[in-house]
Amino acid sequence: MNLLITIYSLVVTILVYLVSRKVAQKFPSPFTTPVFLSTTLIIVILLFSHITYEEYAIAKDIMTYLLGPATVALAVPLYKHRFIVLNNLIPAIIGLTVGSISTILVAIMLAKWFHLKELILASMSIKSITIPVAAEVSKIIGADAVLVAGFVMITGMCGAMFGPPIMNMLRIKHPFARGLSMGTIAHGIGTAEVAKEGELQGAVAGIAMGLAAVFTSLVIPFLLPVLLKW
Amino acid sequence: MKKLLKLLIQLFILLVFNQVGIILVDSFHIPLPGNVLGMVLLFLCLLTGIVKLSWVDETSTILIKHLAFFFIPISVGLMTLGSIFMYNGFALLTVITISAFIGIILSGLSSQFFVKKRGGIEVESAHNHI
Repeated sequence: MNLLITIYSLVVTILVYLVSRKVAQKFPSPFTTPVFLSTTLIIVILLFSHITYEEYAIAKDIMTYLLGPATVALAVPLYKHRFIVLNNLIPAIIGLTVGSISTILVAIMLAKWFHLKELILASMSIKSITIPVAAEVSKIIGADAVLVAGFVMITGMCGAMFGPPIMNMLRIKHPFARGLSMGTIAHGIGTAEVAKEGELQGAVAGIAMGLAAVFTSLVIPFLLPVLLKW
Repeated sequence: MKKLLKLLIQLFILLVFNQVGIILVDSFHIPLPGNVLGMVLLFLCLLTGIVKLSWVDETSTILIKHLAFFFIPISVGLMTLGSIFMYNGFALLTVITISAFIGIILSGLSSQFFVKKRGGIEVESAHNHI
């Protein structure tokens, strides 16, 4: 029975992903971004088939096994564009710091304005870091691991959906800047989306995702207590 | 058949780097995910010529093309957060979206400004080929 559920989950996920890709190509829009569209459809299908997330988890582990090597693979575009990346380290560090700090400040300020609980504030503060690091940092700062995972995924999705159109509107056209901002704020999901625009965008996003994770995880244990008291 | 074998060998090399990254992160308590450290290590090996580009090129291109796929099963985990969003959904979504947009805008504008200031780089070669 469990095996059947797992096979069903695998087939549903892969089919929905393939269909979503086609839909995204035919009707490009933030709401047809494959991560968003697929996730929504799969959740609806699982709910209708009375499959819980616990039952889906085995299929999830099988499918995410390749996430590790896929992230390692980002070294390839990074290597192909190494001169551009190494020549622009200073703009990269500036963009990364500005992006990471501003998103934390705005998130905490808004969350306070909405009178959200301190546990939610803490969990919000690390929502732009890639999920494996966020899980570790959440233990250090006393955030809720489940909330953090949810906030991280929604941040990535909303960055992937609306990041590119917003940057188009504001004439942020440079592939280096587009990759950097998406990797910094929308981590892996943003990297996956912006990598579709070109190799350089994907390479810069991949390295920005890693650096932003290091930066935020080093800064937040000191910054968060200050922001909470503010 | 020969092509499939080549892809699998390349995948194996990527898996080795991933595993080495995970082991290093665990044993030295490095604040990075193992796979990101693996990426840095592979980049260094490519730079120094220890690993040739042709050893990993094809499989990497395929994996990156479908990078989004690997995040979908993780995102499905959002279905367990239904009750929290039932109560605070509007506030939570507002906080997340607005802070993400501002981060993307400021990060993009500032890095673009300084890239251009430094004389810019050849955009043509990198732009818009999918």
